[in-house]
Amino acid sequence: MDDLTTYADNTWCPGCGNFSLFSAFKKAVNLLEEKGTEQDTLVFTAGIGQHAKIFDYLNLSGFYSLHGRGTATAQGIKAANPDLNVVSFGGDGDSFGEGLAHLMFAAKRNADVTVIIHDNGVYALTTGQFSPLSEKGYKGPSAPGGNIEQPFNPLTLILEAGATFVARGFTGEIDHLADLFVQAIEHKGFALVDVLQPCVTYLNTFKEYKEKTEIMETVPASKDKAVLLARQKDPLPIGIFYRTNEPVFHEGLYGSWNPVTQKMGENERKQKIKGLLYGINNNY
Amino acid sequence: MKNDIFTFLIGGKAGEGVKKAGSVAAALFSQMRRSVFQMDDYQSLIRGGHNFSVISTAKKSINSHYMKADLVIALDEKSVSLHKGHVSDSGIFVYNSDAVQDADGIGIPMLAEAKKFPNPKMRIGVSGAAVLASFIGLTKEQLKELIESEYPRDIENNIAYAESIYDIASEKIKKKVTLEKGEISLPLVFGNQAIGLGALSAGLDVYAGYPMTPASSLMHFLARYAKEFGIAVMHVESEIAVANMVIGAAFSGARAMTGTSGGGLALMEETFSLAGITEAPVLFMLSQRPGPATGVPTYTSQGDLEFALNVGHGEFPRIAACPGSIEEAFYLTAEMMNLVWEFQTPGILITEKHLSESTMTVSLDPDRTGWAEPLIHSSGDFQRYADTESGISPLLFPPSSEVIKWSSYEHDETGITTEDGDTIVKMTNKRNRKQASLINKLKGMNTVNVFGTEGPVIAVCGSTCMSVLEALHAGGIEATVVQPRFLRPLPVWELEQFRERDIITVETNSTAQFTTLLKDKANITARETILQYDGRPFDPVELADKIKGIL
Repeated sequence: MDDLTTYADNTWCPGCGNFSLFSAFKKAVNLLEEKGTEQDTLVFTAGIGQHAKIFDYLNLSGFYSLHGRGTATAQGIKAANPDLNVVSFGGDGDSFGEGLAHLMFAAKRNADVTVIIHDNGVYALTTGQFSPLSEKGYKGPSAPGGNIEQPFNPLTLILEAGATFVARGFTGEIDHLADLFVQAIEHKGFALVDVLQPCVTYLNTFKEYKEKTEIMETVPASKDKAVLLARQKDPLPIGIFYRTNEPVFHEGLYGSWNPVTQKMGENERKQKIKGLLYGINNNY
Repeated sequence: MKNDIFTFLIGGKAGEGVKKAGSVAAALFSQMRRSVFQMDDYQSLIRGGHNFSVISTAKKSINSHYMKADLVIALDEKSVSLHKGHVSDSGIFVYNSDAVQDADGIGIPMLAEAKKFPNPKMRIGVSGAAVLASFIGLTKEQLKELIESEYPRDIENNIAYAESIYDIASEKIKKKVTLEKGEISLPLVFGNQAIGLGALSAGLDVYAGYPMTPASSLMHFLARYAKEFGIAVMHVESEIAVANMVIGAAFSGARAMTGTSGGGLALMEETFSLAGITEAPVLFMLSQRPGPATGVPTYTSQGDLEFALNVGHGEFPRIAACPGSIEEAFYLTAEMMNLVWEFQTPGILITEKHLSESTMTVSLDPDRTGWAEPLIHSSGDFQRYADTESGISPLLFPPSSEVIKWSSYEHDETGITTEDGDTIVKMTNKRNRKQASLINKLKGMNTVNVFGTEGPVIAVCGSTCMSVLEALHAGGIEATVVQPRFLRPLPVWELEQFRERDIITVETNSTAQFTTLLKDKANITARETILQYDGRPFDPVELADKIKGIL
């Protein structure tokens, strides 16, 4: 056991893609540390689902949130203390189902958080129902005749919502994935890494992904090209699809400031309130 | 009682500056060092419909508006028919004679005069101040000063218009009223401002909200002053996001708060529970309006009391408080911010539209509020959920060399998920012990306001307290008003002294939820209950009659 792993019993199924994702993330944390990002400043949230068990296993500070809500929690953490590097782990059901609005709005406002999607195309913790990213025809206990809906394309969706960093990784390429995590966390602005993470129990796509995935050597030159590549299924590109610099949410909100570490002292605050009491401007 | 109270009522369409006209009158009375209570009645629309603003003022303190006014101004036809009956016996009725041909009162061509200037329909509300100024004997110069400070946009035209209305009014209205100056000039603050100021005074760092009447003005107020106070105020995608963000902010060590109305609280309910198990110190503000569902958005109610006291699934300690006045809203918000941080559990400040959006002259002293500070872990191994005697675990915030884990799953002391039966019991007991610690703390605080000593006991909660106090004054009734400031835990230790008294309850809902609470938790039985659930706050004179009817 390493410093980044807690004492909790690991209950992911043997061979689960989550193990590789976990390894890649720990590797990324060490790489980041080498590059100067202190582990103490890294905090993370998780939703609810198989993905979220990473909360118990990863020995970093964090918040185990509600199903779908981890991205909202992450944005609250960041807005209060922008010196923190905030990562939000989400499942494809968790983040593209119950939590879709939080995800879209985090991208829309360019919240400076990194969202890592454990994309296995299935609700694994609740025994294999179809997820918002499941292919049409996928058979699960809630759709014995097969999923009758089209899946979302997570990458084109998040690009359209305004994400400023969009990547796809695969748990069969751990070093490549770790590098994507590092770059996503270093990116200033909203970053999403969609991780193809096969579920050995309900939907084992490992072999298929191993055959079809292809690492992109360069970042596509435009958002249009990124969208085209994100729609491509065979070969299935992995790597960074899009990266741009845009103003981030918290700086738009209060500029270069930190509400927690630069908090106004009690006396100053109370004097200000006294001054305000006789000069409240009600013309709004 | 009429001798020292003066009431001004102005009605018109939304967009005619009715509420503004009311605020100008309130500001004028406050400048005269008088006490003021302003109630704004408006509909859920932006243009048209019907709005009115009623302002009562007295030399001594006043706790409610009165519906019978000494001066009623009707800017449109609807106001003529709706407010004709609101003129007091000695009052006068002034109407816009361009809207109604022949009403029984004093007609002034408010629109025709306004048409001499740009945007006549938007300007018409200015006539309210002009007629009032004439009626209470202000000089033209005093009116000019008032218009300059209150209608700063397009100032020259506003002054010219006001003066022309003043001249016509002075000619037509023979009766004059003299308003004596009061003793102290106090600021005018509306309820949600008082709540915002109380939160700021206790150290608020982050506020997140989603628009919902009648809570929105809290967000607007804080957003307006966010930069000045160095706080973050966010309007985000939904109440669900809001609630999760304030918990996230608390994880970062921020004093965080949100506010909403019934439907929004329903959406936040899942997260209220999350605050319970993660032991997140967050403050929720509920400003009630009539429900269910969308209900009547811009009116008042105490119909969500039971919901608010029981919001959230699962068992966990929570603190619920309910301010009885705008002044108290300031102090109680600050107390709640302190309490949620001391006990690391969610708190809910329960109020109503009538308090949130009514304006009063108040005396607020930030030096009398605490400054919310958590218990900080000092030495030794850190465990987020350390199982202490009080149930309260010392906190740390990131960045930290210690690992800090807050969890929505049942967890061990470190914050790691557990399904072990003994640990579930241990952690449940730990959280429940905070409830006992909280009650001990409350026993040392002012938890119940008692006004008076004699007569029957009138038990109330929230803004209804203001209505009852004013009704007693209006009706010359002797009674003891008992208003618990905290509703959960209900301060039974203070309330039980009234158990043998003759009890009357007054509420603005249809099912007597507060009365039921007193019965269930404190074994206090009301002999009679007065309920009003038309969305309107009580008129003190009508309420006095109802109280007299059952004494």
